[in-house]
Amino acid sequence: MPASLLSTLTTTPLFAVGLTLAAFLLGSALFYRLHKPSWLPAILIAALLLAATLAILRVPYATYQQGATWLTILLGPATVALGMPLYQQLPRIGELWRPLMVCLPIAAMLAASYALMIAWLMGSSQQILASIAAKSVTAPIAIGITEQLGGSVALLMGALLMTGVVTIPFVGLGAKLLNINDDRIIGFALGLNGHAIGTVRAFELSPTAGAFASLGMSLTGILTALLLPLAWRLLGIGS
Amino acid sequence: MPALNGLLWLISYWLIGEVVIHFSGLPISSGVVGMLLLCATLAIIGRVPASIAAAAQPLIALLAMLIMPGVVGVFFILDELAGEWLAILTALLLGTLLSVITTLWLLKRLMGRSNAR
Repeated sequence: MPASLLSTLTTTPLFAVGLTLAAFLLGSALFYRLHKPSWLPAILIAALLLAATLAILRVPYATYQQGATWLTILLGPATVALGMPLYQQLPRIGELWRPLMVCLPIAAMLAASYALMIAWLMGSSQQILASIAAKSVTAPIAIGITEQLGGSVALLMGALLMTGVVTIPFVGLGAKLLNINDDRIIGFALGLNGHAIGTVRAFELSPTAGAFASLGMSLTGILTALLLPLAWRLLGIGS
Repeated sequence: MPALNGLLWLISYWLIGEVVIHFSGLPISSGVVGMLLLCATLAIIGRVPASIAAAAQPLIALLAMLIMPGVVGVFFILDELAGEWLAILTALLLGTLLSVITTLWLLKRLMGRSNAR
């Protein structure tokens, strides 16, 4: 695209907003057309389309990102909005509070530590550790955590996508190995490890699995958001 | 306009979160503080007001689109991280496999038998 036209268009955030909307709608449409493949979530299709469009039009990512602030600003109130489904799940938490209270802190902590440990052993830099620490947390909360830790949000997004997509076959495999066919356990594991992507999958299995997945997802998000930055500061990793 | 009314509530809770963090110095994001406050408020009222539902539901449905600008960013840092990919991919794949197995095993031990329906 000619530089003068590009600079005219990118003076308004509407260009970036329009591109994002178009990619999102097209990505979702393709996803349904492909019969909802679990290994290729709609968001990945949309992101690929958008990245390709930016590359073809030669729009620098920083320019796009600046315009897209008009959308990302809504992440704040959208994160607050998650308090509503959390409230609706309170009765389930009450029913099972004992096993959940024991399992959740351990499992949520391990979800972060296994990956951090492996990356650290393989010599990854602090910046990378900070970027992948929140890999099992639902995106709006994970972005906040990663900004707190000083990681790269772009890398976090890649890590989230990857984690969510591989959680689905891993849970299937694990359930087979451990001989588990309780939808509550399978759903909870999907949400705890695979955040929103795992939760969507759980809703396809059964409503019970879905409810427990969203429970696992929200509790992991809250717990990690409360504990990870604190642990980071105590361990002195970020300083 | 019930949705606008609800949106104002959500934004106010987010701003309250900012104030709480400013004074407490806690390393948490204001969205999480706002989310917990909203959940606590709803638990006290004992229901979800129509205005909050009208604003919260569409926003939650749009979450995937709101994070897209961030997701796209990963394609633009591929070069920067050239030598690091093996460690990152191993950490994510192996780490997730281990944590999935641990979660399943723990839950089976803790709730498998006691409250099977």
